[in-house]
Amino acid sequence: MPITDRELCRETIRRTLRQRAKDTSDALSIATATSEIWLLMSAQLTPVIGGNGVDAILRRSLYLVSAAFPWLTSPDEHVDHESLPVRISVRFAGRDSVVVEQASCSFLITFTELLATLIGNSLTRRLLASVWVAAPPVVEQEKIS
Amino acid sequence: MSQKVGIARLATGVPGLDAILGGGVPEFSLNLIVGAPGCGKTTLAHQLMFAMATRKRPALFFTALGEPAMKMLRYQQQFSFFDPDKINESIRFVSLGEDVANGAFAQVLKRIAHEVEKVAPALVFVDSFRSVMLEAQHQSEGPGSQQQFIQQLGMQLLGWETTTFLIGEYASPTSPPPIFTMADGLMSLEQSVFRNSMVRKIQIMKMRGQATRPGMHTFRITDEGVVVFPAVDVRDDPSRGTLARPRERTQKRLAMGVPRLDEMMGGGLPSGYSLLVAGPSGSGKTILATAFLVEGVRRGEPGVIVAFEQTPSQSRTRTIDDLVRAGSIGLINTRSLDLSMDEVIQHLITLIDRMKATRVVIDSLSGFELAVAPTFREDFRESLFRMIAALSNLGVTVLMTSELEDRYNDLRFSPYGSAFLTDAIIVQRYVEVKSCLKRVMAVVKVRASVHSNELREFEIDDGGIVIGETLSEYGGMLSGSPALTPVSSANAQDRP
Repeated sequence: MPITDRELCRETIRRTLRQRAKDTSDALSIATATSEIWLLMSAQLTPVIGGNGVDAILRRSLYLVSAAFPWLTSPDEHVDHESLPVRISVRFAGRDSVVVEQASCSFLITFTELLATLIGNSLTRRLLASVWVAAPPVVEQEKIS
Repeated sequence: MSQKVGIARLATGVPGLDAILGGGVPEFSLNLIVGAPGCGKTTLAHQLMFAMATRKRPALFFTALGEPAMKMLRYQQQFSFFDPDKINESIRFVSLGEDVANGAFAQVLKRIAHEVEKVAPALVFVDSFRSVMLEAQHQSEGPGSQQQFIQQLGMQLLGWETTTFLIGEYASPTSPPPIFTMADGLMSLEQSVFRNSMVRKIQIMKMRGQATRPGMHTFRITDEGVVVFPAVDVRDDPSRGTLARPRERTQKRLAMGVPRLDEMMGGGLPSGYSLLVAGPSGSGKTILATAFLVEGVRRGEPGVIVAFEQTPSQSRTRTIDDLVRAGSIGLINTRSLDLSMDEVIQHLITLIDRMKATRVVIDSLSGFELAVAPTFREDFRESLFRMIAALSNLGVTVLMTSELEDRYNDLRFSPYGSAFLTDAIIVQRYVEVKSCLKRVMAVVKVRASVHSNELREFEIDDGGIVIGETLSEYGGMLSGSPALTPVSSANAQDRP
């Protein structure tokens, strides 16, 4: 079965999160990794689409992801690209690491795909290229498997 | 020592723009791109940036838009010039939106300075600069402060050795803001809607140190971005490069492809002449034009036809279609109703150059008038004059057809009063003889050449136009109802 661009992109995001979390499975490491990835994404995007633009996609992404992970959002809480890392630490703390990893991946994937819907795949790839961890070379992949 | 400062000009990459700018944008200049919302300022700015930016000549694009930068990027990507691979390599976007909304002039200036020092760009774009200005007014810093800001920014940008483009919606040219005075270049864009057609125009109001092409020039926004159609200047020195190289008029005469017509014209149509073929509907103008092109192909003289008919397959002969398909002649066929004359001329010149054409047919002027946007119809005659002059500069021989109502109380050649513009005229008419409609043709004028002054009867058969003899027995031909001359009448009575 051919692997689509979208699947590759999702796999890249999962791989980046795992590597940043150093393959540990505790919620704190995943929260830290998510925050680090977010800071890199935000740094790449705010100059181009502005802080308000990033915030608009961020809020929409959290809204969409909260259908599966309602604990990620709270109706009264204001969130923007600068306050997100603190919010992630608070929200992820004490939760099951598997659920936290799923929520984190889901959020990062939703944000990226939403961005791509708005500004196109190629520009999204271009802007966020430095954020993601590249796939290991084929030989190494084979060795691993 | 009096050596002049050499100013390099940057090619803009926008088709037709360098021609009206006078060679490109001066390096290290401060330029304004102004116009009402929706007239294409941001598209032009992006196109300039993507064309001009390279790794060695990086660009910084500051967005301080009323609309979100995200929307701008979304829509600009639809154009073929938008190359995502250049983003963050030779092109960097910097959003000033929050600084503009929250800060003051000083803060914005500081931010621009910081980014410019960091990236050291050769090209700087600020879109929209007016957003910055308006926000400053809200911050109550006053017009004095604005001017100060503009002067500071202008000086800084000059010091940074950048070529700068400020994009904005500046309202009244009668009370121009101070930035207009400071700017080295000023490009004004506008769009006007008249009836159901929309026309875009660009004017280079200022470009220091170089001779720009004055006046308004039409442009179109296509999938490739902005395409400018420089207005043909009839005073032009063709060597300036807006028109293709001029070809010398020769003593050569071109065969018309209709037996006996060359003889009527005094040996054919002189090369480089413009010929008007006028006549009522169905009189055979297109057939004559076709014969002219076919004869050209036969003699190795490629041609181009510009057709403006709504149903070309019906009105053009199959012969033309076959020759177009075979690549022997070029065809410009448009049913668009919002063209400008300059756009047509531009396409025509390109095709003439590509085909190395020496014969051009415009069929017909009536269709042409309908195809141009209503706003240009008032100037149709003047535009026609410019077109003929442009084609004359190229040295091609032009045949234009003109639909004419048959009037039997005057002798008219064109509803556009364009007869004097052309070097030669052939007129076709219907006359009634013995309750039959007959066609007659006359060569009215061939400048600086002897020609027949006879009204010849002609017929159209499967092979084309067949020119016969004069209807010498009849007089009053132009009245539409010729009568037998007295001599002919007497002879007729004498006959048994």
